[in-house]
Amino acid sequence: MFKYRTRSVAILLALTFSTALLCSVEFIREGVVLDVEASLGEGPDLIVQKLIGGRQVLVPLDWVNNVSETSGIRLVTPRVWGYSDAGDGRLLTIMGVNATEYGTIFGAVGTDVLAGGRFIMENDTRRMVVGQGIVEMMAASGAAVTISVGSVLSLITYNGSLIEFVIVGVFSADSKIQSYDLIMTDISSARMVLGVDNSSCTDVAVWINYGSDLNGVAFQLDSSLSQARILTRDAMKNTMLRTYGGRAGVAALLWACVLVTVLLLVFTASSAGSEEARREVGLLKALGFDTVDILEIRTVESVTLGALGANFGISLAIVFDFILGAPLLAGYLLGWNLVLLNGGIPLAVSSATILTVLAAAIVPVMVATVVPSWRNAITEPDTVLRGV
Amino acid sequence: MTVTVRTENLWKTYGGGGPHQVDAVRDVTIEIERGEITAIGGPSGSGKTTLLSLVGLLTRPTKGKVLYGDQDFSGLSEVFRTRARRQRIGFIFQAQYLIPQLTAVENVALPMLCLDVPRSEAEKLAAIRLSSLGMNHRLDFRVAELSGGEQQRVSIARSLMNAPEILIADEPNASIDEKSAEELHFVLREMVERNKLTVLLASHDAQVLNWADRRLNMRDGNIVD
Repeated sequence: MFKYRTRSVAILLALTFSTALLCSVEFIREGVVLDVEASLGEGPDLIVQKLIGGRQVLVPLDWVNNVSETSGIRLVTPRVWGYSDAGDGRLLTIMGVNATEYGTIFGAVGTDVLAGGRFIMENDTRRMVVGQGIVEMMAASGAAVTISVGSVLSLITYNGSLIEFVIVGVFSADSKIQSYDLIMTDISSARMVLGVDNSSCTDVAVWINYGSDLNGVAFQLDSSLSQARILTRDAMKNTMLRTYGGRAGVAALLWACVLVTVLLLVFTASSAGSEEARREVGLLKALGFDTVDILEIRTVESVTLGALGANFGISLAIVFDFILGAPLLAGYLLGWNLVLLNGGIPLAVSSATILTVLAAAIVPVMVATVVPSWRNAITEPDTVLRGV
Repeated sequence: MTVTVRTENLWKTYGGGGPHQVDAVRDVTIEIERGEITAIGGPSGSGKTTLLSLVGLLTRPTKGKVLYGDQDFSGLSEVFRTRARRQRIGFIFQAQYLIPQLTAVENVALPMLCLDVPRSEAEKLAAIRLSSLGMNHRLDFRVAELSGGEQQRVSIARSLMNAPEILIADEPNASIDEKSAEELHFVLREMVERNKLTVLLASHDAQVLNWADRRLNMRDGNIVD
């Protein structure tokens, strides 16, 4: 293998590029899927929105009562949410909730407040809890304002004025998107920041009773509220993943094209298509090498090449994604979502991905190398050498 | 004299019964004596190379036998034929078939590797063999960096590494000049006289045919005299 430098380097480069591309896409895809799942796990079972003419509009507060009357429901609470600039150009999600109701939901995002702080209370105004990621991000960016319990953070409202909030707690979240993005406050303060009137909310969050049929409850709500859009957890997950799923598919298709090119390169270099490789097998057979010896040589060669290419590719993808932040690729895959990912793109490496990439790099290269060699090795040496 | 290899009513037909069927070798019965250089002459296309391939167990006859001692190898499995090539036969090919990416020593060591000789040992023996052919200054050169005559010496050295009973050489002077051809003759004659090596060579060159102790002529797949 090391003797055929040009051929080996060409295959190695192509393999490295194709596996790096696949790994980069997979690390982002897995990261986002895990983060979306984590964020949904910390969210409500159902979200009720109002649509007019296909557009989402504010929900009248009297819907809360209508929703509450549906059987199988444990808790209904209105939410007011939107985006606000904390003054440094980054958009943060601000969510106003009814502190008393929301605070009773075990595991709901924002309620896992770190020691030294607390969740917002019923009579709190202009108090907030912020994600731990926001604290880290602000500290890392060298912002003038230190984010901690007791400090004050100003948010720019819908009409351009500033409102000061006192931070009463810092929450931990499994979801990176939530941790680096979310500020929770009381519903009245959120209305002031986002310009939402007192009779409306952005949507209604619903938790169902344990053991109730989620789809059954969703169906009841959909039937009783003609302008409602009911989003179940699965629907939310699909919606969130669809925004970049197709692009991940295109990237995967691109990877498949590159891999096919690699295989054609390997096949051409090692098959009957390569006069040199064919003659070499014929010569080794003529000199007394068994078919098994030749297959062993070719297998070791292709596995070494495939494993090296895959490992270089995986290493390159780790550097590209985790250190460089996947420039271009992250923008392509995540689209406008990237604007909201203040803490950087969510990334994850799983053993399944690594094994898949290793198998995808090694097995086809091995087959493309070994099968033509085997075919030549079982042919009479005279035929192979003379090419008749 | 002892017979090294014998053929009986040997046929090799290409084109398997179709309109393009060619009998490359037709009913050839010969005996190759041990410790002799036997040369097969004849024009191009007369079947010399095919006969060498049949004797060298590189291809199977359509009909007839190839016997080493009393053992007929024509019907044996490829495993036995490969083993026989490994242990009994050395080849000098018309096109040499050296592996260009390997050095002279590595090329020559190849036959030893399939005899399970460790690589370092095989390369040591290969270096000794090459040095005996005056190639000690070119041991680590890639074959692409060697002259035609030097490549031919590498090819000769490789053919002798497994201490064969028979050396089969097809147009051994095809890619070398007259001086190199004379050197090749000298080496072969020395091996024949010192080691009782059997040599079967094919050529259409009168100079090479004159090296032989015994000469056969082929025409249209037959031995004619």
